Amino acid sequence: MTGEAHTDSSLRQLSYAEAIREAMDIALAADERVILMGEDIGVYGGAFQVTGDLVHKYGEDRVMDTPISELGGAGVAVGAAMTGLRPVFEFQFSDFAALAMEQIVNQAAKVRFMLGGAASVPVVMRFPAGSGTGAAAQHSQSLEAWFGHVPGLKVVQPSTPEDAKGLLLAAIEDPDPVMIFEHKILYKMKGTVPDGHYTTPIGTAAVRRSGADLTIVATSLMVHKALEAAATLADEAVDAEVIDLRTVRPMDRDTVLASVRKTGRLLCVYEGVKTLGVGAEVSAMVAESDAFDFLDAPIVRLGGAESPIPYNPELEKAVVPQVPDILNAARQLAGGTV
Amino acid sequence: MPTEVILPKVDMDMATGSIASWHVAEGEEVAKGQPLFDIETDKAAMEVESPASGRLHHVSVEVGSEVPIGTTLAWIYADGEDVGPPPEHATSAVTDDHVVSSDAGAPRAVLVDQSAKASELQGNSSSAKQRATPAARKLATQSHVDLADVTGSGPRARVQRADVERLLDVPAPDAIAVPALPWSTQQGDLSVLSSGSGEAAPWVLIHGFAADASGWSAVEKQLRMSAAVHRIELPNHGRSPRRKVADFRDLVSQMRQAFDGLGDQPVRLVGHSLGAAVSLALADTRPRRIESLTLISPAGLGPEINGVVLAGIARASRPESLGPWLKQLTGDPDVVTPNYVQAAARQRPDGQGRAAQASMMDALFPDGVQAFDLHAALSRLECPTRIIWGRRDAIVPWKHALRAPGQVALHLFDDVGHLPHVEIPEQVCALMML
Amino acid sequence: MADALHQPLQPKNGQENEPFAIRSYTPQQLKDALRKMYLIRRFEEGAEDSYMRGLIHGTMHLSIGQEASAVGACMALTDNDKITSTHRGHGHCVAKGADVSKMFAEFFGKESGYCKGRGGSMHIADVEKGNLGANGIVGGGLPIAVGAALSAKRLKTGAVTVCFFGDGANNEGAFHEALNMAAIWKLPVVFVCENNQYGMSTSTERSTAVTSIADRALAYAMPGSTVDGNDFSAVAEAVDTAVSRARDGQGPSLIESMTYRWRGHSKSDRNRYRTKDEISVWMKRDPIGRMAKLLRDHKIMSEDDIAALETEVEAEIAEAIKKARSGPDPLVSDATKYVYADAAA
Repeated sequence: MTGEAHTDSSLRQLSYAEAIREAMDIALAADERVILMGEDIGVYGGAFQVTGDLVHKYGEDRVMDTPISELGGAGVAVGAAMTGLRPVFEFQFSDFAALAMEQIVNQAAKVRFMLGGAASVPVVMRFPAGSGTGAAAQHSQSLEAWFGHVPGLKVVQPSTPEDAKGLLLAAIEDPDPVMIFEHKILYKMKGTVPDGHYTTPIGTAAVRRSGADLTIVATSLMVHKALEAAATLADEAVDAEVIDLRTVRPMDRDTVLASVRKTGRLLCVYEGVKTLGVGAEVSAMVAESDAFDFLDAPIVRLGGAESPIPYNPELEKAVVPQVPDILNAARQLAGGTV
Repeated sequence: MPTEVILPKVDMDMATGSIASWHVAEGEEVAKGQPLFDIETDKAAMEVESPASGRLHHVSVEVGSEVPIGTTLAWIYADGEDVGPPPEHATSAVTDDHVVSSDAGAPRAVLVDQSAKASELQGNSSSAKQRATPAARKLATQSHVDLADVTGSGPRARVQRADVERLLDVPAPDAIAVPALPWSTQQGDLSVLSSGSGEAAPWVLIHGFAADASGWSAVEKQLRMSAAVHRIELPNHGRSPRRKVADFRDLVSQMRQAFDGLGDQPVRLVGHSLGAAVSLALADTRPRRIESLTLISPAGLGPEINGVVLAGIARASRPESLGPWLKQLTGDPDVVTPNYVQAAARQRPDGQGRAAQASMMDALFPDGVQAFDLHAALSRLECPTRIIWGRRDAIVPWKHALRAPGQVALHLFDDVGHLPHVEIPEQVCALMML
Repeated sequence: MADALHQPLQPKNGQENEPFAIRSYTPQQLKDALRKMYLIRRFEEGAEDSYMRGLIHGTMHLSIGQEASAVGACMALTDNDKITSTHRGHGHCVAKGADVSKMFAEFFGKESGYCKGRGGSMHIADVEKGNLGANGIVGGGLPIAVGAALSAKRLKTGAVTVCFFGDGANNEGAFHEALNMAAIWKLPVVFVCENNQYGMSTSTERSTAVTSIADRALAYAMPGSTVDGNDFSAVAEAVDTAVSRARDGQGPSLIESMTYRWRGHSKSDRNRYRTKDEISVWMKRDPIGRMAKLLRDHKIMSEDDIAALETEVEAEIAEAIKKARSGPDPLVSDATKYVYADAAA
């Protein structure tokens, strides 16, 4: 993949999965301490073909297949990170984080603190997340809010190939444990990706579309649905601003509040279960701030239904926000009927 | 040295306990590890073993009385050891230096995120029961509007920002610039009101947008005692004719004609707000005619200006719609009395005049932004120059004054708004005459 | 292959009549080892006393009676080697070379403690000496030890990791996952199970399907052995063999060190699950008394030497407590410091 020639790198298109692989390739080449760990990431190439053929370039010692041992594997990555390596650990599905919560929450997140700063855990964990693939209840969840609740972790959700690469490189260079939630539907999405090494700062949101009438704060795949809705709304003279949160922890307070002060209306769109989810935190952050005074309508949240993800495709769509849901909510907000 | 027997901490959250019973009586022998006494906490009872072998003496805590952990209960003397008075214990526990306990006290609060302060979120009491959005409440508070007087157009009759704006007779921000009424221009020179006399250099006063010469009255009464006072009125204001004002340069050019008509002698030039910007531009092009320059709440030193209030005043025709806007002009809204509002409303131009002012405003402050920057002119001035500003100015931010170069004197007043020459005329006059 | 792996660990050449420790260590090393065992005992007694006086927050888990296991296991290690420890980890920390006054300072919640007062007894660590930390989670250190061994292998540091854990952890999934991975990747790690017979109140007979935890090594194709954990020489010998094997690149071993804690599981333990007779039987097998006897019998230390050593250790503990108590308290405004490397994050 690095052999491809690009006459104009500014127009180079990669898929989200290719962008992640390129980031890992760059990190592996640049830093001997970087290793990849995970189930079937070697010759198989990863369940979603994200690691691809990296094992052939860097060998099995640096692109390590682990047994199906999420707890142990995550713990090995934590111990290796504490003692000099920079492991990037791939979970096959984000749902399997449940098997490894002990090592992530009790160990990785707390070691630096418990030891008074005497050690750090520069580990990266990658979680293929989200619904839309028909994988049903145990392979489709969006669990980023679980980790957002844990001080000591950083949690990011790239929505574009460019950010998938930039955030992963930033995560590998970060001294603290970073959890990356990659939406499975986005793996095949193409987008412009700069050449070579660059980082996207953790903790900064991106304004994907500027607007005056209402602020839509969205994460991951929902950013794209929000942008699609915003294009339709523009035809109806509703000018929506779309913010891609990008990082769940630490959250970019300034960007969100500035937008709400401008528009006076807030719509949060996220795929995780609505109750106690990322949008709940965004809403509370606005309600607790001076931006509250600028609200000219109640805050509206669109999140996942209070349900596991169903198998039937129609049901599956019904339990996470879709473009018509966003349009409906935005129209009501902008029209003053909420 | 005898061995101390203490009330031990036997549970994580235990602070005190009591002796349920002694297994060994005072003076009796006990072996290390043999049960010595039973302890009772609020959770459970537990047997405590003897820490040493010997005889039990100096039992100082009665069965059943509650004591803090670490309290000395008794002493055990080894065979042959002299039983004198009870020794000082080695390390007294709970009362000694700091104790780590679960109710360590205040510090917890320090860490709570204080981004939400309830006090900031309260509306004023008369508005509290009215259903209204935060943005509507904020505008109402700023404009001294009682929400009870506003009809809400939102769900469940919720007052939204637009409802308050309607009451204030304000066009929506994006419509501010559009003059609603047709108007025609008039012939004739700009109005100049002259009064007073004296040896000293004459005063020339230029008022601000949507005001007129009468705005200077408090100041003029003092100035005219020692010198001539000339008050020039801006086009479309006071007794001046209605004229098209294409932009700021055009306004200055019209005002320069009137200024030149006053003669050749040096003058003390004073301007307020837009008038101050005009004065600054005049001083820049007629340096030899300026003895001193006083800029009160000047426009022209930064981009921000409160276009909503200016538009509100420009379009207001009745005391009811003018009052709330005027209250924004002063540091203390109570300075703007009903009588003042009535008087001000009588001074307002007719429909065509108001439309002409609105058109002028659109030319000078498109989209609520000051379309001219006189910062460079301020730096070129050679005459003594002072800026007088109120820190509660809600129309033009006083911080623009901080762009002034070093030779310009700054006089900032804490509780004063956009109208220092109306709010504190004596102090303003004293400064002008320095 | 499997047969070779499961031979009992054999003593080194020749002098079978003398214990391993006498054959392998200098008199000074042996004196230092005894000193460390006293230091652990007195440290824990001092901590217990401070706890009972209300000077120590929370709870603590004492290893009194297990000193030979901690000190014996660390004999083969250098400061470059790592250990992961457990909630009953004071002995491991001292054995790996920690300063007892910094340990006391941690117990008293002081900024001058090993973890700046943020960790306390259950998270005591001394990273500079290779102690990656005690752990509040049963089995929490097992995968971490494997990770440390992976780093050592990948970065070629030559370090071996000794992973201490208790009998309770051998029924956690993390134990099985960690042993399996250490074996498939042939990592330089030695798993030392300190079997003190009880996971809190539940005996190994009631909790563990195999009679000997060392038998579980068979499932992960590594050597497993059981030693008398109260015999310094036996522990040192078994771990020495396993560490050599790890350094040679032959992978992990499992050692079960049979011992007993004299005190309860924690300070809240009312000892309802075992008899005083059982405790007193084990107290007669005091690992420190046995070590002292070994040194006396081999004329390495006299009775007087040992008495002087004890006095010296007691003075060191008293001084350490005094020094620790006078250390600075952390600032409340710094309570969330050390959550992230960049404090502003």
